[in-house]
Amino acid sequence: MLSRLVFLSANSLRSSGLIGAGLVQASRSLQTSSQRLAPVPPLPEHGGKVRHGLIPEELFEFLYPKTGVTGPYMLGTGLIVYLLSKELYVINHETIYAICIGTIIVYGVKKYGATVAAFIDSINEEKVAKAQVAKDSHISFLTEAIENEKKEQWRVEGRGMLFDAKRNNVAMLLETNYRERQHMVTNEVKRRLDYQIALQHLNRRLQQEHMINWVEKNVISSITPQQEKESIAKCIADLKVLAKTTQAKAAA
Amino acid sequence: MTLSLFDQFLSPVMFWIPLVAIAITLPWILFPGPTTRWVNNRSLTSQNWLLSQATSQIFLPINIPGHKWALLLSSLLIFLITMNTAGLLPYTFTPTSQLSINMGLAGALWMGVVILGMRTQPTHSLGHLLPEGAPALLTPILVIIETISLFIRPIALGVRLTANLTAGHLLIQLTSTATLVLLTIMPLTAIATGTLLFLLALLEAAVALIQAYVFVLLLSLYLQENV
Repeated sequence: MLSRLVFLSANSLRSSGLIGAGLVQASRSLQTSSQRLAPVPPLPEHGGKVRHGLIPEELFEFLYPKTGVTGPYMLGTGLIVYLLSKELYVINHETIYAICIGTIIVYGVKKYGATVAAFIDSINEEKVAKAQVAKDSHISFLTEAIENEKKEQWRVEGRGMLFDAKRNNVAMLLETNYRERQHMVTNEVKRRLDYQIALQHLNRRLQQEHMINWVEKNVISSITPQQEKESIAKCIADLKVLAKTTQAKAAA
Repeated sequence: MTLSLFDQFLSPVMFWIPLVAIAITLPWILFPGPTTRWVNNRSLTSQNWLLSQATSQIFLPINIPGHKWALLLSSLLIFLITMNTAGLLPYTFTPTSQLSINMGLAGALWMGVVILGMRTQPTHSLGHLLPEGAPALLTPILVIIETISLFIRPIALGVRLTANLTAGHLLIQLTSTATLVLLTIMPLTAIATGTLLFLLALLEAAVALIQAYVFVLLLSLYLQENV
């Protein structure tokens, strides 16, 4: 936190004319933060490790080679005892209050620390989740679009077959139409020829009848009354004979 | 060097450098500004979330032109909360226990809202001197009373904060002195006073937060009347 002050003052020092530039170059080996702003360096996952909530782990690691595990604790105890015995730190009423407020703070952090941290993490998680949802929906939309495009391409392939079938259809229709018309033409021609035949038949029949009528007329007009009597008497005689024969056949 | 109970309220000076300046710039260090990151660390996220919640809560009843004051009031809230809670730590100096700082904040801000109201909508602002629904006979007296209450406001704002914090700190000092002295004479009583001190510390923590919030809330109320 106080490093922020140093950082800001260092910035202003660097930008100030003559000495600033020289200092920056000379102290380059001591500069530990990244020298570029982009791409933004990733944030460490967790903060620096601390022991007992206050003392950075680096102190313990620094003292370990020379003083072992209990080194820093001995250092701390010794410091406190020194301060107390020499009355560099005087025990007064504030000490009692410090114990009090220290208990409250430690208890509060221990009890509610994890909950608060989880809540803050959830705020960040929601933010990331929203962006993730947008990204996922966009990706799924694009995947769907790709599939639709592929289907359209497959459909286009099928279109050739569709056109062939349609062409066949049309050809069949034309063929059928042509045949129908031919049939119609044949029928019409046959009808006309039949008419002519019927006309001829009628003509012949009329001629025949006319001739028969003329012949009959002539024959009838040529029959004399004498001939008529003779023929009637003959008919009667024939009939009598026939009747006799028939009676004879019936009796037999 | 004998210490009196009021020595904790002396403005700290070291080699004639007033350390109160460092004490007042504490919030500026503790609350970092916006970063270049989209997702920040826990401390910054929590600060942002708390501040946005508090500000939206305070500015809910205020109309849109009054939202120009959002930055001022929210930074004031942060300032007061930090000063008050930092003063809870032992051996610290609480700037907001000084009448000078509190009166400076209260007087200036109160005068700001009143002048704003008088300049932009004088009739409406003066109308607040007569509460609605009051019987016509009492009008002269009411106007006088309301004017007095209007001018008392900055004093009340400043003194409220000062008195609360000063009283709290004094009580803590007294109780802890009593505990220390009784520790050797009557240990059981010392335990009792120790418990009292414990509860008092909890109360002081609550008071620190509440008083800061009340200060800003009252200012927002005065703003609501005048904007």
